[in-house]
Amino acid sequence: MRWVTHGIKRGRFEMSPRTARYLFALVVVLTLVAALYLMLVSRTAARGRHIEQLQAELSRLQRENEQLEVEIAREGSISRLWKRAIELGFVPAERVEFLE
Amino acid sequence: MAEGPRRRLRLLITLLIGLVLVIVAQLVQVQIVGHRFYEEWGREQRERTIVMAEPPRGVIRDRNGHLLAGNAVMYSIEAAPSFMSDEDKEAAAAKLGSLLHVPVAHIEQLLNSRDENGQERKWVQVASPVSKEVGEQVAALRLRGITVRPLWARVYPEGTLASHALGFCTVEITGFYGVEGFYDALLRPERVEWEGPVDSASEPIPWRAAPVALPQRGTELVLTLDRTVQALVEEELARSVQEYQAEGGTIIVMDPRTFEILAVASLPNYDPGRYVEFFDQNPPPFEDPAVSQQYEPGSVFKVLTVAAALDAGLVTPETTYYDQGWIEVGGQVIENASHQPYGQRTVADILIESLNVGVAWLSTQMGPDTFYRYVQAFGIGRPTGVDLAGEVSGQLWLPGDYEHWHPSNLGTNAFGQGLAVTPLQMIAAVAAVANDGALLRPHIVARRIGPGGEVSISQPVIEAQVISLQTARTLTEIMVRVVEEGVHQARVEGYRVAGKTGTAQIPIPGGYDKEGTITTFVGFGPVPDPQLIILVKLDRPKTSPWASETAARAFQRLATRLFVVLGIPPESVPLHAGGTGEGTVAEATR
Repeated sequence: MRWVTHGIKRGRFEMSPRTARYLFALVVVLTLVAALYLMLVSRTAARGRHIEQLQAELSRLQRENEQLEVEIAREGSISRLWKRAIELGFVPAERVEFLE
Repeated sequence: MAEGPRRRLRLLITLLIGLVLVIVAQLVQVQIVGHRFYEEWGREQRERTIVMAEPPRGVIRDRNGHLLAGNAVMYSIEAAPSFMSDEDKEAAAAKLGSLLHVPVAHIEQLLNSRDENGQERKWVQVASPVSKEVGEQVAALRLRGITVRPLWARVYPEGTLASHALGFCTVEITGFYGVEGFYDALLRPERVEWEGPVDSASEPIPWRAAPVALPQRGTELVLTLDRTVQALVEEELARSVQEYQAEGGTIIVMDPRTFEILAVASLPNYDPGRYVEFFDQNPPPFEDPAVSQQYEPGSVFKVLTVAAALDAGLVTPETTYYDQGWIEVGGQVIENASHQPYGQRTVADILIESLNVGVAWLSTQMGPDTFYRYVQAFGIGRPTGVDLAGEVSGQLWLPGDYEHWHPSNLGTNAFGQGLAVTPLQMIAAVAAVANDGALLRPHIVARRIGPGGEVSISQPVIEAQVISLQTARTLTEIMVRVVEEGVHQARVEGYRVAGKTGTAQIPIPGGYDKEGTITTFVGFGPVPDPQLIILVKLDRPKTSPWASETAARAFQRLATRLFVVLGIPPESVPLHAGGTGEGTVAEATR
């Protein structure tokens, strides 16, 4: 690399203490903003995951609820009740009288 | 600086500038010129349409809250072969094969199948739908690359009960026929989907806020049907079809005060939960004959002709005419069904003895304008507007339609020939008589309950005041005499009921079928405060061609049971009408 570097004039980099303080403050602010943003994003992600879990649980409970209602309805269907009534010894009423 | 290094430095700077320019040009190409393309490409790779878990379709209940159509959980077994090693595929095929009762080789073939580009498939469906039990067993195996996705399946817990009124729902959860078809859009659940980031397995990443609210389920429908009444109606229909050796039949029960349909049944019927098995029948039994099949009603129609003549002020029940056994209308000779002359008769006798000559005389006295004005006012020739899918309008040719209408139609239409109605049109027209002359719109949905619990109640819709209250009551009394003096088979002990038979020939190309009839009985009661109207229609009964021997008997049996079930006391018991009421005791004896 000698053939390159020896042809470049080395410049001097000087920074005033004031500029350095400004630069430092800027870095601190940017770091804080970045940290804040990261915190916000991670919190959003965590809450999003929690909402997803709740939604999944709600869907599962909804499915369970629907399934149970169908099973109850099957058990209480007219044909099932009729069969059960016959098994228990009930008979269709052939003559019904209304009493005052 | 020496000339050599300076030249080399310039060369290097030039090369670097060139390189930077190339990079800048490429950046311009990517960021500006091809911006949209690359943005879309990137989005396609990281985002997918995410469909939220679908809520259930709206359920259907009877008027007392009993579930008629609900939703059960089934599962779809799916695989992502590109995420599975050969060992994973082998293990999955072996375990799924035994659980799903599918050959292992078939599942292996599915998992190793390639797409049209020769690439390993990213997604294949292994089995769907599978039962809740099997789905949960598969999920418990936690097989790599295998997912178990819940699905909804429509379930009808009462089996074949009210199948025509309910209709059915396909695997894709789309409703057809009956209430399922008519209210499909309302019953459908809300579908919520959004574009969102996904991971490598296409699972959503909760990187940004997704819609928080779950999609809404479909609207719940509460019908006017009463499942107990429906079961009794279906039992009676099955008995009548068997006893009278009919090919099929229809029974409709309505409340004539509101035109609510309490029960509607037809045979042959089907199980809406197993509708696929009925596609092979010719024709499939899916259409509801109560609203989709039209027929010539025969003498039941005489009720409307007499109503029109009375309401027009042309005659009174005591007006007499001379029945010579035949009458010529428009060049066609019309005879009584018995082919006999009846001599001096009153208008009331026309209904009691069901005289074709009498009603033809009435329609000719009225003239076509008046007659057809009343017939149309009764709702004949147009759909009733009932909330059931597939309703047809029937057939009514009017004067002025030179291709179809002939002057003789005025005579034949008067006793229900040469026109066609649906069973629902016929019962609605007679229900107008029972309802003091007011024709309402029949309906089967009593109320709708939205996903948020908001309730919408169906209000009775008045179509027309067809005849006056006085005419309706006069006609009702004549119809009571029809049952008491003419059709004793329809008498219900303890109750005053009104009714009319109809024995109709079946039109075939070139005339009428000599082999069979369609028998109908429409009756309502208890008079004077009718709370029930029943139409019984039997197709081609073989034991007797007459309505009085078939449909009227079925009406009698059914009305006897329904008056009790609905808590309508007989005349001799002065209780509050319409309920079992305080002090009512029903005693059952063998």
